[in-house]
Amino acid sequence: MTDPSSDLAARICGWLAGTGIELFELRGPGTLIRLQRNGTTYTVPPATVTADVVRSGSVGVLRLAHPLRPAPLVHVGDAVRAGQALAVLQLGAVLLSVAAPRDGVVRRILAADGSTIGYGEPLVELE
Amino acid sequence: MIEVLAAGAQATVQDLGRTDCLRWGVGTAGAMDPMALAAGNLLLGNDANSAAVEIQVFPFRVRFTQDGAFAVTGADCAATLDGLPLMPWSAHRVRAGQELHFGVPQPGRWRASRAYLCLPGGVDVPMVLHSRSTQLRGSFGGLEGRALRRGDALRAATSGADFVSSDIGILPPALALPLERDGCPAMRVLPAAEYGRYTQASRDGFWRNEWKITPQSDRYGFRLAGEALRPEAPMEMRSHGIVPGVIQVPPDGQPIVQMRDAQPSGGYPKFATVIEADLWRLGQAPIGSRVRFIETTWDEALDAQEELKVWLEEAARLIGLHRNSQGAA
Repeated sequence: MTDPSSDLAARICGWLAGTGIELFELRGPGTLIRLQRNGTTYTVPPATVTADVVRSGSVGVLRLAHPLRPAPLVHVGDAVRAGQALAVLQLGAVLLSVAAPRDGVVRRILAADGSTIGYGEPLVELE
Repeated sequence: MIEVLAAGAQATVQDLGRTDCLRWGVGTAGAMDPMALAAGNLLLGNDANSAAVEIQVFPFRVRFTQDGAFAVTGADCAATLDGLPLMPWSAHRVRAGQELHFGVPQPGRWRASRAYLCLPGGVDVPMVLHSRSTQLRGSFGGLEGRALRRGDALRAATSGADFVSSDIGILPPALALPLERDGCPAMRVLPAAEYGRYTQASRDGFWRNEWKITPQSDRYGFRLAGEALRPEAPMEMRSHGIVPGVIQVPPDGQPIVQMRDAQPSGGYPKFATVIEADLWRLGQAPIGSRVRFIETTWDEALDAQEELKVWLEEAARLIGLHRNSQGAA
């Protein structure tokens, strides 16, 4: 599935090209887009996955365990399957799964439990 | 859209209940945990009152016979889809042929005993007396008025093809709206008609002591065990109307809480009533666990009902916002 936010970010880059704006931030329900001027172009945060790093597709508070469960959803070294929840992003009462994009093994957890996560932040590294 | 591959006893189709038929002597039936049912339906964009499968004996296994979507809520049964672990209280897309498995309820942060499987548009069984809930006593409603069996097929009211918010979950109300006394799950209770005819010691003890859910507890009623409730004098009563939540006291002094499949009348003295807004908490309490009762007032009971309504409305709003942002893709 293509991420709607990356299309939107690309469009915003076009609009920003002719301005002097250094930093642009757009917040919407379930979306945070942050663009930083990088010379003559703007950097678009990667949509969901770059190589082996699983990134957030939404803003939210990171939960490494589902709130009902004492144990984290995955541990370093766990084999995971495509679609499996690696972590949860909480927005109020809504919990969004951070799903593994492919089968793999969890190499590193890149963000702390309970931290506030912006759009496109690296969360889990797979190998 | 689903075929039942393995069913323990007493999995039934339930909606929020047949609430307007007590005058004809027809009990309410309906989900033991209406909050879990409503939340599962909201995750799919269904009406909160849509019918779902209530599962109370595990394992339970179904195969999807069409592409679509589903939601699981209630007790965390470590559900898997073709072996892939699913988050509790979440909704997912599904392809024809995939198998959904519910294991035994996990201990975790909330001890619960009943799981719900919601389908797009609700489980499509006929409406009988304004409800799709299974009336086991009368053998009507739900699927042929009975519990599900292996080989049963259930249809969803809609295809679920337009379901875009896969892998969305919701915080269980037990965590969002917790209620405990001294670490024990608690329910708010109103004193009932014969409360004043029990000894002061019994009345004090009722609020102060823990009550154990005995194995003689089911959708009809929960038989509790604890320090016996003693009346000042023996009571002989005529049968009168009762509703789910009413706590009756038989001569042995061990109370019975009427649950969703309760008969609409009974003759035991009515000691108290679990408020409607807290019946879901009791409905999930596992056999062998202990609960506490908190004395409340009519106004607080109405406020508690309003709190649940507001919580569900806010959850529906947040899910809707997420669905709209996904749907824009």
